[in-house]
Amino acid sequence: MSNEKPVQPEVDQEIDLALEKALGAPQAPPAPYVYDYKTSPNRQVVMPKTVPLSGLNAYLAEKAALEAAEEAKWQKAQADYAAAKAKAEAEGAPEPKAPVRVQPKKEPDLTVPVPSEAKDPDLLRLMALLGDGVEEAFEQSGELTCQVARERLLETLKLCREDAALKYEMLADETATHFPAAKDFAFSVVYHLTSISRSKRLRLRILIPEGFEPQSAVQVYAGANWLEREIFDMFGIRFQNHPDMTRILCPEDWEAHPLRKEYPVVGWGQRDVDFREDRSGMLNRIALEKAGQLGINLKRPKAE
Amino acid sequence: MFKHQEMEINMGPQHPSTHGVMRLKLKLDGEVVTECRPIIGYLHRGVEKICENKTFAQGQIWSDRLDYCSAVANNLGWAEACEKLMGITVPRKAQYVRTLLAEFNRLASHLIWLATHALDIGAMTVFLYAFREREDILDINESYCGSRLTTTAFRIGGIPQELPEGFEQKVRTFLAKFPACIDEYENMLNENRIWKKRTIGVGKLSAEDAIALGVTGPVLRAAGVAYDIRKAFPYAAYSEMQFDVPTKPEADTYARYLVRMEEMRQSVRIIQQCIDGLPEGPIMAKIPKLLKTEVNEIYHPTEAPKGEIGYYLVGEKGGAGPYRFHVRAPGLLNLQSLPKMVEGSLIADVIAAIGTLDVVLGEIDR
Repeated sequence: MSNEKPVQPEVDQEIDLALEKALGAPQAPPAPYVYDYKTSPNRQVVMPKTVPLSGLNAYLAEKAALEAAEEAKWQKAQADYAAAKAKAEAEGAPEPKAPVRVQPKKEPDLTVPVPSEAKDPDLLRLMALLGDGVEEAFEQSGELTCQVARERLLETLKLCREDAALKYEMLADETATHFPAAKDFAFSVVYHLTSISRSKRLRLRILIPEGFEPQSAVQVYAGANWLEREIFDMFGIRFQNHPDMTRILCPEDWEAHPLRKEYPVVGWGQRDVDFREDRSGMLNRIALEKAGQLGINLKRPKAE
Repeated sequence: MFKHQEMEINMGPQHPSTHGVMRLKLKLDGEVVTECRPIIGYLHRGVEKICENKTFAQGQIWSDRLDYCSAVANNLGWAEACEKLMGITVPRKAQYVRTLLAEFNRLASHLIWLATHALDIGAMTVFLYAFREREDILDINESYCGSRLTTTAFRIGGIPQELPEGFEQKVRTFLAKFPACIDEYENMLNENRIWKKRTIGVGKLSAEDAIALGVTGPVLRAAGVAYDIRKAFPYAAYSEMQFDVPTKPEADTYARYLVRMEEMRQSVRIIQQCIDGLPEGPIMAKIPKLLKTEVNEIYHPTEAPKGEIGYYLVGEKGGAGPYRFHVRAPGLLNLQSLPKMVEGSLIADVIAAIGTLDVVLGEIDR
């Protein structure tokens, strides 16, 4: 045992002194500390500009527009060719090249799934039973989708479960999607139903605006309880007649709803200091400043 | 002096039997559970949000980390969901290899379940036996893709490489040995008086309740419902395989144990068929390097060891990654049935019920 004092490198003392000079006296942390993520450049969110909502009507409209554009382009190319040909003939120059219609390249193992008209008996039955409650029904990728009016959701769920020809006994999944670019709705909520006895699957979909509270599916399928709590947690959609509308994955006091598109991916509490590149020690100083605001003591205690 | 009083206690978040970080708020009347409220979310990493900001190929890596005990099954679901979204046809050889590895993964997952479940209830020996065989499966994983647990075994459109040299021999050696190992586990447990007392009649969940709550997998099959996605909605190469779906009508912990043991035997059968009938041909579909989607929305369910794992993907026009990604985790809906199982039973049975549900918090919290 020696009586030597612990070795304290002078450089550290200098840094500490410089820090105290730079930061001033330690301040009391303003509580609760919330990082202003909107001002930080690497946390800015790129909002989606399109509404990728699958549907037969939208697909047909888009296809018609594309075909019309293609046709117009072809007509123009042909007209240009005719004009160029006439000009070449008049001048005695060699004939220009005739335009060729470009065929889309085909990949051998890739067939883009497109929506098609509802032919499945389940969809037809739903359309017959609900009448104008069905907004859209189509098939895509071998899956059945039925978009119903949001007010008639509960009725549809009951029908799907109890109708003898449908008999969808299980709610496999329920989730939502945020569409900030859409005009007359903000979210789609989808219900994936499974019929165990008939080995069939069906997707029900409703479109809801901000603030709309759909009826809870717990009234028909008990398993929707946690799924709807998760939707509330992640999107902020509340459900009417839900037995326990609380957060499930995030802490109870969490701000905002993470799966909305305006929420940044690089989130709160993430360290934004890259210490590997901290040559001048500036980042370390920023970190200490932040730590001071958070009430964390990062400074090395001084030896007596 | 003595008075009747209900007591509220916390089981977890750190408890050896919760297999992760899960908290149960229990209300007790003596030793009888009157109310149970599971509190989850301690392992929430925001996988869905992260994957929405990554490409499809990058998302594959995150699927490993959902249910880390059955990474291959998650990889399979992710790869097939992306293929369904974009309309890709996968070569037959790749389908066979996928089926083979997914079944190996089912064995590994069931072995880890058996080991920890038995350990929770007090049977220490089985733990060591089961981990011995699991090690062989992890070695097979390692020889195929280099990693043991987080495999990232498949690619969108097929599999990344041909099976390595000596792979078939390894698989055949394992298949020759493993059925005797299952008999060994069953010899230790099937007629074990303590095991039977701790499991028979414990954690009952009727078929009606299970279906209403969205419970899938072995827990549903042990309630007498022969619902297996491999049979009901065949994917990969399962439509070409011969296998049975084991069911039991008792709907208790013991029945679930028997169902899982029988499932392991069926997995061995499937692996045998895969390795015997492995076709020749390409392993990767002819697709462009950079995959782009059209507007589409799909839900692809597959039978993971724990139940139905479903991937919900929304694709946008020209998108290199999903616009919206959601995992229907089997563990989440299975765990939801825990209060129904344990309310009215003894507190010791809660341990058995958690074990029988085979929860992995990585996929529940995502």
